[in-house]
Amino acid sequence: MNLTLLPDLLLAGMLIGLAWAVLNSDDLRRGVVLFIAFGLLLAIVWARLLAPDLALAEAAIGAGLSGALLLVALRDGSGGDQRSAKRSTLNRWLIDLFVLVMTCLIGWVLWLTIYAEPVERLAQLANAMLERSGVSNPVTAVLLNYRAYDTLLELVVVLAAVLGVLVVGRERRGYREPGPVFHGLVHWLVPLLIVTAGYLLWVGAHAPGGAFQAGATLAAAGIVLRLAGYDAAGLPDGRLLRWLLVAGTGVFLLLGLGMTVSGGGFLQYPEAWSGSLILVIEVAATASIAAALVLAYRGGRSDGWLLVDEKDKNREISS
Amino acid sequence: MNNPLIWPVAVPLLSALLALLWPRRSTWIGLLGSALSLAAVVLVSRQVIESGAIELALGGWSPGLGIALRADGLSVLMLLMSTLVSMAVAVYASVYFSRSERRSEFWVLWLLLITALHALFLSGDLFNLYVTLELLGLSAVVLACLGGSRESLQAALNYLVLGLLASMAFLIGVALIYAGYGTLDMAALAAAIESGPTAWVALSLMTGGLLIKSALFPLHFWLPPAHSNAPAPVSAVLSALVVKAAVYLILRLWLALFDEVVTQTAALVLGLLGGVAVLWGSWVALQAERLKLMAAYSTVAQVGYLFLFLPLLAALPEGTTRDVALGALVLLALTHGFAKSAFFLAAGVIMQRAGHDRIAELGGTARALPVTAFTLALAGVALIGLPPSGSFLAKWQLLSSVFITGQWIWLPVIAVGTLLAGAYTFRLLGYAFAPGEGVGPSLSVGREEIPAVLLALAATLLLGFWASVVWELVPISAYAGGGG
Amino acid sequence: MTQALIYALTGAVLFMLGVRATLLRETLLPRLLALNVCGAGVFLIFVSLAYRGDSLPVDPVPHALVLTGLVVAISATALALALNRRLREMADE
Repeated sequence: MNLTLLPDLLLAGMLIGLAWAVLNSDDLRRGVVLFIAFGLLLAIVWARLLAPDLALAEAAIGAGLSGALLLVALRDGSGGDQRSAKRSTLNRWLIDLFVLVMTCLIGWVLWLTIYAEPVERLAQLANAMLERSGVSNPVTAVLLNYRAYDTLLELVVVLAAVLGVLVVGRERRGYREPGPVFHGLVHWLVPLLIVTAGYLLWVGAHAPGGAFQAGATLAAAGIVLRLAGYDAAGLPDGRLLRWLLVAGTGVFLLLGLGMTVSGGGFLQYPEAWSGSLILVIEVAATASIAAALVLAYRGGRSDGWLLVDEKDKNREISS
Repeated sequence: MNNPLIWPVAVPLLSALLALLWPRRSTWIGLLGSALSLAAVVLVSRQVIESGAIELALGGWSPGLGIALRADGLSVLMLLMSTLVSMAVAVYASVYFSRSERRSEFWVLWLLLITALHALFLSGDLFNLYVTLELLGLSAVVLACLGGSRESLQAALNYLVLGLLASMAFLIGVALIYAGYGTLDMAALAAAIESGPTAWVALSLMTGGLLIKSALFPLHFWLPPAHSNAPAPVSAVLSALVVKAAVYLILRLWLALFDEVVTQTAALVLGLLGGVAVLWGSWVALQAERLKLMAAYSTVAQVGYLFLFLPLLAALPEGTTRDVALGALVLLALTHGFAKSAFFLAAGVIMQRAGHDRIAELGGTARALPVTAFTLALAGVALIGLPPSGSFLAKWQLLSSVFITGQWIWLPVIAVGTLLAGAYTFRLLGYAFAPGEGVGPSLSVGREEIPAVLLALAATLLLGFWASVVWELVPISAYAGGGG
Repeated sequence: MTQALIYALTGAVLFMLGVRATLLRETLLPRLLALNVCGAGVFLIFVSLAYRGDSLPVDPVPHALVLTGLVVAISATALALALNRRLREMADE
C-alpha cells in the first residue's frame, strides 16, 4: 500500500469512528460534545481537501454555532428519554440491510465516476471566468456571482427559519451576571470577534472568507455578550430588528431587480461594478445572518418583537 | 425587461420583505402581493403560449456555470394553479387571520411559500431545486404550526424531520449527478444522461426523497396529522400545492431528465404503490370521523392516482398518445389542487362556525351555511371524478390509456377507488344536508365563503370546459427529451 | 485521485450511518445529530469531487454548494430545536 495515503486513511477512519460514537451515544450531552469534535475534525478534512473557505465555515457554523444551539437546547432539558426506538429485530435487520446495500451502491457509483473515468466538471470554466466576476476568490465568485441566485434563496431560507423560531419560541431567561474574570474576557473578546468578522468579510473577495463566515463570527460575539449577562446580545428590538433581518435578502433582491430594470438581466452586475456590488451585498448578508443566528440562540421573540403593532397602539392610547 | 421569468419569484419575495417591515399593513401587502404574483405568472404564461418555452440565464452566465430559469407548458400550468389557488386562499386567510396576533408572521411566511413554489416550478438547475425544496419545506412547517396546538406542533416537527431526510436523499442524488456528468443544468443533463449505474442510483435516491415529500403510500404517514392540524388556509395550500410540487419534480425527473433510464419495472413499482394509496387512502377517508382528517386521507388517495399514470406513460410510445396521457395526469393534479383547497377552506368555515369538524355532528350545515355546503358538494364531484369536472376527463383518458397499453391491472383500482371516493363524499354530504343544529344559526354569506366556492367552481366547471388548454400546453417542453 | 475516492467513500458511509440513525432513533435531538451527520456525508462527497490533486486548482463550485448547504442545515436545526423546546414547554404546562 502507498504510504502517502496513510494520513488520509487515518482521517477518514477517525471521521467514521467519531460519527459512529455520536450516533450511538446514549448520553445526549456526550453525543453533542462528540458532534462538536466531529465538526472540528471535518474542518481539518476540508483544509486537507484544499477547501479553506469551508474549513472556516465548518469551524464557525458546523461545529461552533450548531454546537452552541445544541448545548443550549440541552440546558432547556431537551434530553429526556434517549433510548432507541423499540423496533423489532426484523425491522432493525431490514434497516441495516438497506443501509449496507445503499452504501455499496453509492460507493460503486463514486468509484466509477471519480476513479474509473474521471469527468471534467466546472473547475476550468469557473476559474477561467474569474476575471470577469469582480472578485479573485473563486468560491466567492460562485456564491455571489455565477450562482448568486442560490445564495439569495438561501438567505430567504435563513429568514424563514428565524421567523419560525420567532413564531414558536419565546426568549430564554437571561444568564446571571458572570464573575469578574469572564467579564474582563468579554471586554476584549467581543471587539476582537467583531474585528475578525469585518476582516473575514473584507478578505472574502480574494482569500478564504466571506459573508457566511463573517456572519457566524459576528453571531459568536452576540452569544458571548449574552453569556456575559447582556440579554439583548447586542441586537436591537422592534422595527430596527426587522430591518436587520430583511437587510441581506432585501439588498440582494433590490440590486438584482435594479439591474433588470436598467436593462441587464437579473443579478447581472455591470462588470466594472461587480466587486463593489458584491461587497455591499455581503455586508448586508453578514448583518442578517448574524442577527438570525443570535435570535436562534436567544430562543425566540422578546416582548419587543410582538409588536411594533401593539406598541404603536399603546402609544396611541397613552397619548 | 422583456424576459418576465424572474417576476413570479421576485414579486412575492419583495412583498414578504415589505410585510415583515410593516406588520400593521401585512394583510394588505399580502393580498396585493398575491395579486401581483398572479399578474407576473400571467405575464410568463402569455409569453410561453405565444412563443413556446422560455429561458432566463441569471447573472448573464451561460447555464451550467450559472443558473437558468425555464418555463414550459408543464411549469406554466403548475404556476397558474399555485398562483390562482393561493390568491383565493389569501382572500379567505385575510378573514381567518384578521384577529390573530400571528397575522403579520402568517403573511410573511405565506408570501415566502409562494416564492418557494414559483422558484421551484421555474428552476432549471438541480442544486437550485434543492434550495427551493428546503425553502418550501421550512416555510410550510412554520405555517403548519401557526395554529399553536400541541398536536399541530408535533405534526409539524415530524414533517420537518422527514422533510430534511428527504432533502438529504435528493441532495446526495444531485451530488452523484454532478460527479457523473459535471453539470447541474437540467437542459444539459436531459441531453447527457444515459442509462448506467450513476443514473440509476442517483434517480433512485432523488425519487426516494421526493416520494416522502409527495406522501406516496407507504411514506404518507406524516401527511394526515400535519395537514389536518394546520390552520385551514394552510391545510389548503399544503394539500393542494406543496405535495404537488414534489410530484411535479418526479415528473420532471422521470419524463425529461431520466427518460432513457426509467424502466418499465420501476414505473410499475411506483404505479402499484399508487394503486395501494388510492385504495388505502380512500378507505381510511371513509372511516374518518373528522372532516379535515377525511380531506387529508383523500389527498393520500388522490396522489396515488397521479402515480398510476407512470407505468402507462412508460409503456406508451413517445408522441401524441403519450402527451394526451401526460395532459390527463396534469389535469387530474390541477383539478385536485382546486377541489382540495376548496374543501379545506369549506372545512375551515364550518370549524370556525361550529367549533368542531366532527362529521357525524354536521347536521344543519346546508341550512346554516348553504354556500359552504354547496362548495363541499362541488368539490366532492371533482374528487370523485364526475362530469363536468376536470378529473372526469382525466380519468376518462386514464382508462383509455389502460386500454391502449393493455395494463388491465389498473381497472379494478380505478373502479374501486372511484366508488370509495363516492362513498366518502356522499357520507359527508348526507350528514351536511341532514337537518340538525350542529353548526349553529343561519347567517348571511360571508367573505370567507366566497373563495372556497370559486375554487370548487374552477375545479368542476373551468377545468372541465377548458381542459383542452391543458392538452395544448403540456407538449411545450424546454427539455430535449420531454416529448415535443 | 485515490485521496478523493477515500473521502468520497467516507462521505457515502457517513450519509448512510446518518440515515440509519434517523430511522432508528425516536427522540428529536439524536435524530437532528443524525441528520447533520447525513449532511456532512453529502458535503464530503461534494468536496471530494472538487479535489483534483494537490497541484491542480480545485473546482470552486462544489465548495460554494456546500457553503450554501451548511447554512441551510443550521437554519433547519435551529427551527427544529425551537419547535422541540416549545413542545416541551407545553408538556410541562
